[in-house]
Amino acid sequence: MRFSFYAFFALVGVLLLLFVWAARKRTRREKRLPEARVLEECGRGHVAHLPQIRQALAETDYVYLSQKAPAFVARRVRQERRRVASAYLSAVREDFGSLLRVAKIIARLSPEVAALHEFERIRLTAVFAWRYQMIRLQLLAGLMPIPQLDGLSDLVSGLSVRMEAAMKELGERAADLASSLDGRGSDIA
Amino acid sequence: MGEIITAEKALWALSVLLKAGLFAMLLYRKNHRVYPYLFTYVLVTLVQSLVLFTTYRVWGFYSPTSRNIAWGVQALVIAARALAVAEICRRVLARYQGIWELAWRMLLATVGLVLVYAWAVSRPNWQQAILSTDRGLELAIAVAILILFLFVKYYEIVVETTVLYLSTGLFFFSVFSVLNNTILENWLHSYATLWNLLGTLAFVASLLLWIWAVREKQPETPSEPELMPQSAYRTLAPQINLRLRNLNEQLSQIWHVEGKRR
Repeated sequence: MRFSFYAFFALVGVLLLLFVWAARKRTRREKRLPEARVLEECGRGHVAHLPQIRQALAETDYVYLSQKAPAFVARRVRQERRRVASAYLSAVREDFGSLLRVAKIIARLSPEVAALHEFERIRLTAVFAWRYQMIRLQLLAGLMPIPQLDGLSDLVSGLSVRMEAAMKELGERAADLASSLDGRGSDIA
Repeated sequence: MGEIITAEKALWALSVLLKAGLFAMLLYRKNHRVYPYLFTYVLVTLVQSLVLFTTYRVWGFYSPTSRNIAWGVQALVIAARALAVAEICRRVLARYQGIWELAWRMLLATVGLVLVYAWAVSRPNWQQAILSTDRGLELAIAVAILILFLFVKYYEIVVETTVLYLSTGLFFFSVFSVLNNTILENWLHSYATLWNLLGTLAFVASLLLWIWAVREKQPETPSEPELMPQSAYRTLAPQINLRLRNLNEQLSQIWHVEGKRR
């Protein structure tokens, strides 16, 4: 039997799996906010809870506790901290996802998109998903010390603030365009 | 063998009935205006049935003339189906001007690559060249529909139920034809009768799905979204990408730094 015989079967199998995945309806979990609310809520990420998270993960607290409290308490606290770190990572992923969704909405509503930016975003999403899963699995398995989240969180909060400003600017531009077209009686695009 | 041939004849008659039903349904619901290429495809398949029926009666099932006519008409049918698929892609994505510009180029490029691949792995035998070409075209159609749905999934585009059913029917029929042709290429003589039967069966299943899809009148043009100014994309897309890249970098640093600390 020739190689191409099996190659076509394998190819068809892959095509079928991809099609079922791509064409299936969104589950309730995947159903998301409408576009207007996504743009409106962009910038209100989970990083708002950063001070509490930082406090919960502070290394000095843990060192103090492990010196003063019995071993089982320290162990318990360590487990809790891992859980908090894991939950925080999930929240960061949600923020990443919301940024991504804004990018998709902008692409959808643009008269022209650049292939370079679009493919770059797909690559970044794949890399983020891979790294996120690796860190999360190691955290859950107890193979990784509690990460220092300060740098990451600063970045995300910075992002959100700047995105909010960018969205505001976008809204103003859209309003300007609408009012300029009103006078000519034309529809936008 | 006799039972297979009887079943095949019955299925063939059923498929003609269903094609006529789909044709009538498209006309009755005025969906031929919404999907003119799909309507043309159904019409071409009806004509194909008529031509094949006449050909087999005049020259017999196994004559070279019948074979040439059958494959000639098949070329027209596949071309009409490819146009119907292009029409569906356009209906789903053309509302989103920027994405459509990107998508149609990608669709064309991928279809070209698939055809080259299908040609490269086919047997260098002129007798089976037609079969290989047919398989290559079917594969290209299936890949085009898949790419359409990958775009839909990625950009979270809402697809009409009718389009979903029509595409599913077209996709599964093409995929099935690829498999059927691949088996036929390897066991040409012993599989030929079963190949016809299974091919007709798959087509009947697709016809039922298409009839279900067009049972109601469809809006001629789906509502178009209000586009943003082009400058918005030019400003925001690179910014968002930069932020996503930085976020990735941070995750990477956590991973590597913590890995070293262990």
